[in-house]
Amino acid sequence: MEDNSYQLIIDYFEKTISDDGLTQLQEWIEASPDNLAQFSEAIQILEATKSYFKQTENPEKAWEKINAHVNQQESPKPAVQKRRWLAYAAACFLVCTSGWLVYKSLNTKPALTAEYEVISNADGKHTRFLLPDSSTVYLGGGSKLKYAKNFIGKTRAVYLDGEAFFDVVHQVKRPFTVKSGHITTLVLGTSFNVKAYAAENKVAVTVKTGKVGVMADVRGRPQVVKYLLPNEQISINTVSGLYTFNTTDARAVNSWIDNDFIFYDTSLEEIAASMEHYYGVQIEFTEPDLGRVKLTAKFKNISLKQAMENLSALSGLAYTQKGAHIFISNNNQKGGKIMK
Amino acid sequence: MYPALTDEALMSRLKQNDHSALETLFFRHYKPLCQFCTVYTRDYTIAEEIIANLFMKLWDNRHDALILNVKSYLFASAKNLSLNHIQKKKAPVDFMEDLEMGHDIIHDTDTPFKILSGRESYNRILTVIDTLPASQRQVLLMSRIDNLDKQEIAAILGISVRTVETTLYQSIKKLRLLLKGYHNSASGS
Repeated sequence: MEDNSYQLIIDYFEKTISDDGLTQLQEWIEASPDNLAQFSEAIQILEATKSYFKQTENPEKAWEKINAHVNQQESPKPAVQKRRWLAYAAACFLVCTSGWLVYKSLNTKPALTAEYEVISNADGKHTRFLLPDSSTVYLGGGSKLKYAKNFIGKTRAVYLDGEAFFDVVHQVKRPFTVKSGHITTLVLGTSFNVKAYAAENKVAVTVKTGKVGVMADVRGRPQVVKYLLPNEQISINTVSGLYTFNTTDARAVNSWIDNDFIFYDTSLEEIAASMEHYYGVQIEFTEPDLGRVKLTAKFKNISLKQAMENLSALSGLAYTQKGAHIFISNNNQKGGKIMK
Repeated sequence: MYPALTDEALMSRLKQNDHSALETLFFRHYKPLCQFCTVYTRDYTIAEEIIANLFMKLWDNRHDALILNVKSYLFASAKNLSLNHIQKKKAPVDFMEDLEMGHDIIHDTDTPFKILSGRESYNRILTVIDTLPASQRQVLLMSRIDNLDKQEIAAILGISVRTVETTLYQSIKKLRLLLKGYHNSASGS
């Protein structure tokens, strides 16, 4: 009995005790004052053991050391470099000759077809890169950005399916446009966030600095919907054409580029959609109504599990994870959804 | 960084020379690994050094390593490296002195209840923990590391889950008796 009681005390301390176990433990403690003393002493010991690891660690410093080691290793060995150099030279020669041939064949026709560069991210990954004009793009998870190489032409046009934050270099004579379906965002030089996942039928543009014009194609011709100033946001439903305009905290909207999530009074449905792209998972609600719960939350560089724990604590809803699928359900619900 | 990927998925990215995969693994396991090393080295700075080396080795051997369970592998390697370090230092000789020192610290206390109450008593308990039999001390401290459950402790130490449970409550029982024993010998003298 005594050994079993210690197991129960440990379960109690680790909060993994079952209802039956709790009743048993309670009976054991009440059985004698000595048992009560044993219980409180064991709990004290467990409490004290926690402080055995009280040191403050500095993972960033240690990581720098490892990163230096990794990068130093990365530099190729001389022998390989030589061969690589040859390969580059050969590739260069090929590109030059074929380029010349293409140029020759194209030269007969004046039309110069632009070549496109496509950068795409799988769900769960985001990248930062520079465009040919040195504008910076942070491309979110599950997002695709297409643009003409070298930005030939009068405008700097990019095509976006997904979410991206742009910090655009100022060029008065060459406006920068972001096309997402029928919605075009026109800027001169500024920073702003566009969230336009084709699957969500919604385009949201939020301005951090400068001024941005948002245009929609009406009967094939672009018309200005709204000009936006810093911290202004427009959300357009691309199916119904309805749009809402409001002021918001642009920093919160852009927080994802720093691995942070900030949501102000946002529906769980929208939060789930953002998390799907960021963590590369699928989130489903067992009842669609559950997605309408509104939350304010801030996550700083945390794991999916921690994020889900926090969300479920905030919303009072339960969740279960099966591989890359997460189901959010009512807490008191006894059943679930069968995976097919 | 790939917060959503499992350790095993990160390992396969590591084999494709992905730095971010190493970074994710590092930040995910650094703290518990350092704490685990401290169980053996009893020195946090040394523990940090050992773990940094462990991740460098993980990177260097990424193409050759055949790892089924990454977390167990990391902890088992951390244990081996720590034990190697101790052996090189030949420190365990002064173990008996530690034990004596523990006696002195405990002597001036009144009752087991007082020993166990108040913040100061924490330090006493910690001193006595170091006088526990090695296997009990190891399991007791490991059970206090975040995100390390019974199953994982069993896998790292190569013992059954049942043995982990038994050793854990035996360690608490023993610790309680040690604290009590010191009291009795103190009041008896």
